[in-house]
This record gives sequence, structure tokens and C-alpha cells, in this order.
Amino acid sequence: MPTITIFKQDLEGLLTGPGEARQSITIEQLEESLMLVKGELKGQNPDSGELRIELQDSNRPDLWCCEGIARQIRVKRLGSLAKYGFLTAKPKALKQLTVAPGLEQVRPFVAACTATGYRVTQEGLAQLIQTQEKLAEMFGRKRKTVSIGIYRLAAIEFPVAYDLVKPDEVSFTPLGMDTVMTLGEMLLVHPKGLEFGGILAGQDRLPVLRDAKRQALSFPPIINSREVGEVKVGDEALFVEVTGTDLPMVVLTLNIFAANLADRGAVIEPIDVRYPYKTALGESVVTPQDLVKSQTLSVSTIEQALGQALGAKEVAKALTAYGYEVKTSGKHVTVTLPPYRQDLMHAMDVVEDVAISRGYADFLPVMPSDFTVGGLSRIEEVSDRVRALMVGMGFQEIISNILGSPHDLRDAMRLEGTDWGQLVEVDNVMSQNFSALRQWVLPSLLRVEAASNRAFYPHRMFEAGEVAKFDLTQPLGSRTVMVLGGMIAHADAHFSEIHSCLDTLFYYVNQAYSLEPIQHPSFLAGRVGAIVLEGKQIGVIGELHPEVLERWQISVPAVAFEIDLTQLAERP
Amino acid sequence: MDISSLIDSLHPLEVKVLTTFWADPSGVLPTEQLAKTSGLEPSQLSMAVEWLLAKSLLTVDTETVTPIVSLTKIGELYFEKYSPIERVLSAARDAATTGKRLTIQDIQAREGLEPAEVSGAIGRLKKEGALLIVQGGCLESTGRPSQTAEAIRGLLQQLHGTTRELQAFPEAHRQVIQDHAVKRGNAKEPFRIDDRVARSLKLSAAGIEAAQQLSKQGVLEEVSQLTPELLKDGSWRTKRFRKYTISLRAPRIAPGKKHPYREFLDTVKTKLVSMGFQEMRGPLVETEFWNMDALFMPQFHPARDIHDVYFVKEPKQAASIAEPFLSRVAQAHQDGGSTGSSGWNYSFDMERARRLVLRSQGTAVSAHTLAAQPAVPGKYFSIARCFRYDQVDATHATDFFQVEGIVLGEDINFRTLLGLLNLFAREVAQAKEVKFLPAYFPFTEPSVELHVRHPKLGWMELGGAGLFRSEVTLPLGVTVPVIAWGLGLDRMAMVALGIHDIRELFTDNLDLIRSTKGAF
Repeated sequence: MPTITIFKQDLEGLLTGPGEARQSITIEQLEESLMLVKGELKGQNPDSGELRIELQDSNRPDLWCCEGIARQIRVKRLGSLAKYGFLTAKPKALKQLTVAPGLEQVRPFVAACTATGYRVTQEGLAQLIQTQEKLAEMFGRKRKTVSIGIYRLAAIEFPVAYDLVKPDEVSFTPLGMDTVMTLGEMLLVHPKGLEFGGILAGQDRLPVLRDAKRQALSFPPIINSREVGEVKVGDEALFVEVTGTDLPMVVLTLNIFAANLADRGAVIEPIDVRYPYKTALGESVVTPQDLVKSQTLSVSTIEQALGQALGAKEVAKALTAYGYEVKTSGKHVTVTLPPYRQDLMHAMDVVEDVAISRGYADFLPVMPSDFTVGGLSRIEEVSDRVRALMVGMGFQEIISNILGSPHDLRDAMRLEGTDWGQLVEVDNVMSQNFSALRQWVLPSLLRVEAASNRAFYPHRMFEAGEVAKFDLTQPLGSRTVMVLGGMIAHADAHFSEIHSCLDTLFYYVNQAYSLEPIQHPSFLAGRVGAIVLEGKQIGVIGELHPEVLERWQISVPAVAFEIDLTQLAERP
Repeated sequence: MDISSLIDSLHPLEVKVLTTFWADPSGVLPTEQLAKTSGLEPSQLSMAVEWLLAKSLLTVDTETVTPIVSLTKIGELYFEKYSPIERVLSAARDAATTGKRLTIQDIQAREGLEPAEVSGAIGRLKKEGALLIVQGGCLESTGRPSQTAEAIRGLLQQLHGTTRELQAFPEAHRQVIQDHAVKRGNAKEPFRIDDRVARSLKLSAAGIEAAQQLSKQGVLEEVSQLTPELLKDGSWRTKRFRKYTISLRAPRIAPGKKHPYREFLDTVKTKLVSMGFQEMRGPLVETEFWNMDALFMPQFHPARDIHDVYFVKEPKQAASIAEPFLSRVAQAHQDGGSTGSSGWNYSFDMERARRLVLRSQGTAVSAHTLAAQPAVPGKYFSIARCFRYDQVDATHATDFFQVEGIVLGEDINFRTLLGLLNLFAREVAQAKEVKFLPAYFPFTEPSVELHVRHPKLGWMELGGAGLFRSEVTLPLGVTVPVIAWGLGLDRMAMVALGIHDIRELFTDNLDLIRSTKGAF
């Protein structure tokens, strides 16, 4: 979830409603208010006024900026959202943006507007850039579905064209470079081309925005032109465009930018986007545009979910103070999201906003009154029982990572190429140390032994825990089983010592077992056996092979056993 | 210390020495005689005497110091091969006979002597008139004898393999011995003079008192250990048991015990069971379906990419996903299906749902439970091992426990959710003060973060919870409201165990595991 940087004085300026005196806010008040936006203050610099805020809600991109946070707090304080005029006013002649045929196969949608009359400040510019980055990165899925460009309006002549061209057909100087290059070259050499070029992989023609003078504005979603696409402090006229693959997301993103700039005092002028193909909003789409997400729900749904009788009036009050437009009719309310939001999927989304607007502290906790019987799973009971027995026999319990390395789990145990050595391995390995699930627990105990030659002897340890057995006959390709491993290590460690422990363990879990000689590469031949319960092998016991000890760099003999508790648990 | 406790603390060797004195009518014993009478080994005796002197039970009556002369290793060597002075003199005499020139260097080379040995010998011979140094640094014998050389030869013969008192030698020889005895800074000499101390010891006043007492109780033999034999024949009655110094440090033992972190988790487990929660379990390897899809996390959700979840190498996919859950969940994602939701509006990838991952959240276990016709009302929990694609450091582990669960019931709503969290705060964190903050989880609405004032940590986030979205419950066949909750206990566990690095929860350091006291 995004963490953003804002400035306190900038926030305070934006908290002010029209005609109001500037509001100042203390850090305590801010932290309280951040509940409205699911935000958490992560850090602050009292000298610069810099605040670092983490926003939790991944469905509320409108809140990932200073303007959005301020807006939510302001609306709550004022009781309702002042309407954005640019969404309703119908100017006679709109500037146009024309879309070229073929883009429906590449990057089909674009939305744009102009903003004039707001002189860009240092802090305002920082917010514009940060919002552009956070929205494209997290909401726009790394620019794949949405990317944003902001330009100096003065340099642009309308109509602007959203064109599709061959890679070497158009060239301009991209931001961050000082030479003219073709779109194809940008994909090959520009850092942003290398980072985001994958979005356009396989395209033989590339999108470009050009103005009426055939001057390139940008190569979406890669990079802006340096001449037109570098906004500076003091600029007073901007052109904002959003391109992408999902029309509602593209329009929503533009709405957020339009609202943000309007909140800073800019006059927003919509642009008429002309498509040569059909879109869900028609072939002529004026943006920004209120997509009017609304829902009618019964007040009792809300009351039931919250566990509190509120009445339609209180519900309407809470939602209005959270930015909604609300109409009540009897026992129902019809709610419409503000234009910078589209995150209404279900009635419960509205329920939460009622609770947030009123404040969670407004709801008195009530204990759930239903009686239920608690208990442990059978395997956990068995595990607890054998753990207690192992402790009683003087063993120290160990707890280990389940994720380990094939070297430790297989190679160091001499199990390369054997069934015992088959592992559930990770595909996207980050570190070899954590690239396979343990298939047995003895390597976990050897790991401790290898690190503990200075701890006084004897060492008696055990671990009861889960392992994953590679098994292609299973739907998941593996079985998760609970095993118990016990190990004794000291200068005179002897098979009979661990055998006694195993014997005692089975006596108290009341199961008759037998040992059958087997070959197992991890143990010394002739000193290893399968633990058999009614003809079924459920474990192994033996003296660890000197080569295993050598590979672990362990310098004392060790004897050990391992039992599949899952199979033990299935016994009556 | 009074005399009887002093006696009790005596070592058997000390007792032996004291009783030896008590038995002797003169009361004064030279050490040689003491050794003979007591029958103790010299080393044992000298230990016991030193202890008794330190306790002022014995005093030194007389002490005589006799210098004793013996040969050093070099002395014995000189006895075999002549001393440097003899060798220099004989070399000079040989040269006089043959008429050859003899330099100091010649002697050094021929006799294999150290320069210091040669110059010392020449100096003495020259002083005694037995040797001249002539032009060109040549040595010339005068033919006169050297008293020193003769005296040394005599002394070497007398002392070979034996020792003598220094005073037994005539004055002139004593001088030679002292001149050629090893001293600090000059170890290469033939003679050694040692002081032989001859002591006579006697009991002090306290010693007499102690010995007297000992003689009274002397019938009781002291033993260190009660044995089955002593018990069997009752002879323990005639024994005295040596008293121990019980303030000494006890030897360390390693008991069998639970792992401290496991003990902490066991406490949590017991708490949850006591609150009416039934344990649920699930596999370490999950499908994306149960790990995420069933929890209404859209397939394009950023937390689902290869930088957040571990994918399984082989097999890559599960054979199938149980119906009707797969179709219903797919529908909920696409357009909401019959959940009352508008869905995420994208085309759900059925293949992707089958992809295998290492369980990344305990909520996957809850999803399985929801689909398995859970009890209503019902409370469930799991302490599930989960895996995250994270760089391991002091606060991030790739492999950790999540304590999670669900509560189903007709009476479940936002306020009972808060009530449950209150209960957790009190029972699990012993916290009286709580704060509920709005939160975001893809699978709950409304969502809450539970912050508590921990008695040791101050305000901390204890967990997250919410009401499962209908998009989660309805496709899995559950029609009542469900609370989903999760507790973040690692920080509490770390405080309870006194560690600062999350990696130490799974430490491989046996000493640390043995010595950690754990939460109590």
C-alpha cells in the first residue's frame, strides 16, 4: 500500500473550504483525522513540515495524495462535498483529442483536460509528480492499465491526436535525455523504455500523442517530451492526459487529477475525446466525466451489519459527510459515490463508510453471545502428547524454519537421487537458503547441532512440526504431515540410547511397533531401521552416517529417529 | 569461627596432622618426623600443614635454612666434558707445545664455546697468571697452574650425582662455588645453591584445643558419602559426615523443556480453546484459488505477483479445484454472481486458480473451513505456518506463524466484531485499553485494526479483523455473517522472550534456547 510524502502547510491550505480562514492542524488532530482515510502517520519532520503517511486502502487511489486526504477531512468537517462545476457545466466549444484507428488493439483509451489559473507551487508540483507515480504504479498496475502525462498547455496547439505510428516514424527529446530519438530507440535505451517497454511488447506500431503542429507530446505509457512535458514551478496552464486499457479506470484517474487541481484553485476545462471505434461511453467521450456509481439499499441492511439502529436520516448524514450524494425514500437510501471514487461493489462498502464517517469509537462493542465448544484437532492433540513425553525424557524442544535449502535437506543427508530426497521446491527462488519445503525434520535438528558444538553435552533435542512430502499422486503434488524428530548427540551417543526413548514413547502412546532393518543413506548401514506399525512404515531410527555428520561439520556421533505423527494420529 | 565449627570444616588430612601432634608427647615435630609418624605423602602433608598454618592451628617452632650445593645439568656436562676454563687452558698449553698461534676465535670455533664462556674463562686465567694475551690477540700459556680450574675439577668430582651442604667446603672452594652458581641472569653455570628449610612445628593454643576435641570425638570416622552399605548395617551411626560448602555454585544441567516460542504459542492456543475456538488445519502448499481467489483478491492484485508469493516448481498446478466453489468464486470475481456485488469486472483465469503456491496467509485455512460446512454458530482458529517472498532481516522472516480464525453466527455484526476484539485484547495481551481503527483487507468489509496498550510495549497493533465480504462467504456456501480475525503476535513473543531479532525465534543456538526463560 502506498506511503506518500506531503507537507503540513500544503495540507492545511487544502483543508480550507471556500471563503474560510486558513485552518491549522496539530499532529494529534491529524492522526485522529487520518482514520477517515485509513491512513497512518509513519514519520514527520517538524522543521520542513514533511509528513510520511501510509494509506491502506488499495481501492481508494483518490486518497493517495495530499489533496485527497485533505478533501476527505474537509468534507467531513463541512458536512458535504461541494460539487465540481466542470462535471456539470456544458461549454459550447470543447477542445478535442482525436484517437487514431488501430489503438483499440494497443492502448485503447485516453482521457484529458486542461487546468488553468493555478500557479504551480513547489509543493503542488511535488504532489503532481508523486500522485502521477503512485497512481500509475499501484492503481495502474505499473502503467499497464493506466499511465498519466502532464504538460505545459501553452506549448500545445489543439486538436491533439492520439496516434499510432511506426517505431521510427516519430522522434523527440524525451525527459531525462538531451538528444532526439525515435520511439523505437527510446524502448531500447531510455531507462523508462527499458522498465515499461514490456507493456508494448509485440506491437509493430506504437502510441504517440501529437498536437496540431505534429509536435510530439509523449510516447505513452513510456515517457514525455522534454519540451512540452516538463512542468515547472510557476506554470499556470496545464494539460493532463491519461491513457490505458480500462476505460472506467482511465476516466477515474483523470477525475482524480481534475478534482485535485480544482481543489488547488485551477479552472478545469473538459476535453472531447473522439474515438474511431465504439467504447462503453460512446464514440465521443467528454472527460473528466462523472461515471455515477450509485446503489439503492435498505437502511435495515446497514443497521443489521453495524448492529445499531440509526435511521435513514443518520445514515444519510454520515454518508453525505463522507462525500456521497444521498437520497432517502422511506426505509431506503440511494447513494452515489463522488466522481473521484468507483469503489462501490457491494452494499457492505457503503456500510463501512457509514461506520468510518461516524467514527469506530461511536460503536459500543458487544460480546458475541453464542455458545461454542473449543478444542484442538486430533493431530495437535497427538503432537502435544508426544511433545510432553519428549520433554519428560530430557529433550529440548526446537522450532525451525520449514523453508530450507535442497543442500541441507537432501545433499547433506546423502539423499541425492533417492525418493527420500524428493522436495517441494520453490519456482521463483530468492535465496537458495529458502528454496524448498523440508521433507523431514532431522535436517532441522542437525542445523542446531552444527551450530552448537560449544553448548555442553549431551545434546538431546526434538521438534514436532510440519513437513511437506512430495507426492505426485496427491491433488496438490504433496502432502503436509506432522512429524516428530528426536536426536541425541554426544561423544558416546549410542543406538540403544535413542532406541530406549522411542520404545518409551510408543509404550505411552499405547502402540505396538517393531523395527525392521532397512538401507537408508543418511544412517550407518546395519544401525538403521524402519519403525513399523501394523505392517506400515511410519518412521526411521538409526545412527547418523559419519559422512552426513562430516557434511554438517558435526564432530560428535548422533543418533536419531523420526516418526510420522499424522499416521499415528489415525490409529484408534 | 568457634572451635567446633572449625573442627567440622577440617579436611581429613588436617585431622590426621592434628591427631599426630596430639599423640606426640613432646608436642614439637620436625617435618621429617611428622611425615614418618603421620604416614602421609609429602605432597599431602605439605598441603595439610599449609592449611593448618593458615588457620593458625599450627605454628612454626624453629626454622633452619641450610644452603645445599648440587650440580646443574651444565655442571654434570662439565663433569663429563670439562669446563670452559679447563678447555681454554688445555688449548693454550697444546698451542705452546706445538708452537701454533692461538686466537680467541680459534678456541671458539674448535671447542664450540659461546663467546661469553670463552671471555669469562680467559679473564679468570689471565688474572691468575696462567695465560697471557700477546700481540695480535693470541693466547699464550705461561705454564703456571690455574687454581680455579683445579678447584672446579675437584668440585665437579665431589658433587657428581650428589649434594652437599655449602658449609662443608673450605672457604676458597665456597668462593669458587658462589662465583659459578646459577643466578638470575646467568643460568649457564655448573653449580646450584638451594636453601633447604628444616622446620619444627607445634600446635598453637587453638590447635591444642582443636586436637583435644578431636581426640574426644575421635571414635567417629569421617565419611563424605552415605552409602547403601552404611544404611544397611547401620554403621552410619559411627560415622561423621563431612559438611559441604553449600554456597558454592551448583553444576549446570540441561533439562528437557519446551521451546520458549512454542510455549508462548501454546499459551495462545490454550486461550483460544478456552474462549470456545475449535482448531482448524490446512496444507503448506495451497492453490492460488484457496490462498487468494476464494478470498476475493482479484487476480491482478499487486500482492499476488512473483515478488510477494512463493510459487511451486513442480507440479505447477493442482489437478483440479473443487466445484461448485471454482465456478461460483470465478463468477463473484467477474460480475459478482449472486453475491449482490458488481465484482471486479475482469475475466477470471481458471488456469491461474490452480497454480500452486506456498501458503501466504492463514486466511486460506479459514476459506477451506467456510467451504466445509462449518458449524453455525461456530468459532475456529489456526496457528498456521505461512511464507512470504521477503528479504530476511531483523523484522522480516520468510517463514512465520499466523494466528487467524473466524466466527460465524446470526448475531455477528460490526459491534460483536468489536466485542470479540475487546476479548482478544484482554485475554491475549492483558490490555485494558483498546483503539479500533478503520483498516483495509481485500476480503473484509468493514475492516478494523485493533490497537491495544500493552503493559510492556505501550500502544501496539495487535491484529486485524473484519466481516468477511459476501463475495467470500456466499460462493463458499455460508449465508450467515462471518468475522475474520488475525492476531500479530510476533512482537509480543519477542518481548516475552527478550529478543530483538525475529530470526532468533527460530534460532539454531542451542545454548540460547536452553537458557531462555520464556514467557511465564
